[in-house]
Amino acid sequence: MTIKILLVLFIGLASGLSVGAGFVAFLTVLGVIPRLTQLSKTMGLIQYYEWAVVCGVLVGVWASLRDPLLHISAYILIPLGLTGGVFVGMLAAGLTEVVNVFPILAKRIRVDGQIIILVMAIVLGKIFGSIFQWLYFVHQ
Amino acid sequence: MWEVNVLEKTIYIRMRHRAHVRPEEKILLKDVAQIIAPEAALSNLRSLMIHQVTEGDQNIIVIDVMEVIKKIINEFEDVEVQSIGPAQTIVEVIFEKKKVSIAFFILIWFLLFFGSAMTIMNFHDDVSMRSVQEKIYTIVTDKKATKPLLFQIPYSIGLGLGMILFFNHVFKKRLNEEPSPLEVEIFNYQLDLDNYVVIHENKESMKPVNDD
Repeated sequence: MTIKILLVLFIGLASGLSVGAGFVAFLTVLGVIPRLTQLSKTMGLIQYYEWAVVCGVLVGVWASLRDPLLHISAYILIPLGLTGGVFVGMLAAGLTEVVNVFPILAKRIRVDGQIIILVMAIVLGKIFGSIFQWLYFVHQ
Repeated sequence: MWEVNVLEKTIYIRMRHRAHVRPEEKILLKDVAQIIAPEAALSNLRSLMIHQVTEGDQNIIVIDVMEVIKKIINEFEDVEVQSIGPAQTIVEVIFEKKKVSIAFFILIWFLLFFGSAMTIMNFHDDVSMRSVQEKIYTIVTDKKATKPLLFQIPYSIGLGLGMILFFNHVFKKRLNEEPSPLEVEIFNYQLDLDNYVVIHENKESMKPVNDD
């Protein structure tokens, strides 16, 4: 019995460790946190940002595993949705940057000047796709 | 006496990183390098022909500093050439500038627009975004919701904001003067291409084992 419990503990710890390491590695590759510190000129506070990510992950784990109920106003969802969206947007932008989409596109079709318009196409496409999905697509 | 003499006949050249020429044009030394030389020799040096662009050159020519020094020494006797900085210049032959047609541009714009719209929908479906959002709604409000729009609309707008924030377009002037990651990325890509060209278009940069 004790062996079984210890084994489950070990397996749980091991899987958590690899998932957590993977999450951090992913964030690092996409460079979201460096980008935010660069924009806000707060390089010195980077350790606190790391802790913010760790705490966020732990809250997420708690919320998804324990199904807590908070009984508070629904309007709290607006800042939650907005910040969550900004984060996912930065992930998506980091991903397009990592895979070199824009430099190659600009070279191929020779539009060095209007590349911002192409970025806007992708940004607006993301917003459109997302709103379309939630308002219409998922209910069909 | 001797030292002064040497000083007077020293020519410093620094190859430019990149130069643009038209087809059939002559590439002069002043096009590919910055020059410091005694006043007397300067104008001759500046107009020293380095290369005649021909059709066989295609659109990239790499001018190596060795080739330049050889030409200078042939032309001017008793000079010492000092080279500073990059060892070669990439000369780009600019043919007729082709304008991107508006229709083509709009086509690409919509390609990107619908492509990214579809990608984000696939992503949301893949990570079960919908059920997570409904669960968050239930956690916060203790109610069931099939359309947690209060969460979803800000989320969608935030998605776009996050991308803009990352590429630093809106806040470019206000937040800081640093280049955006996109500009750095394009610069790095160009640098990689240049490095490739420098090695591969320059016959002198590689020596085969057999001289055949």
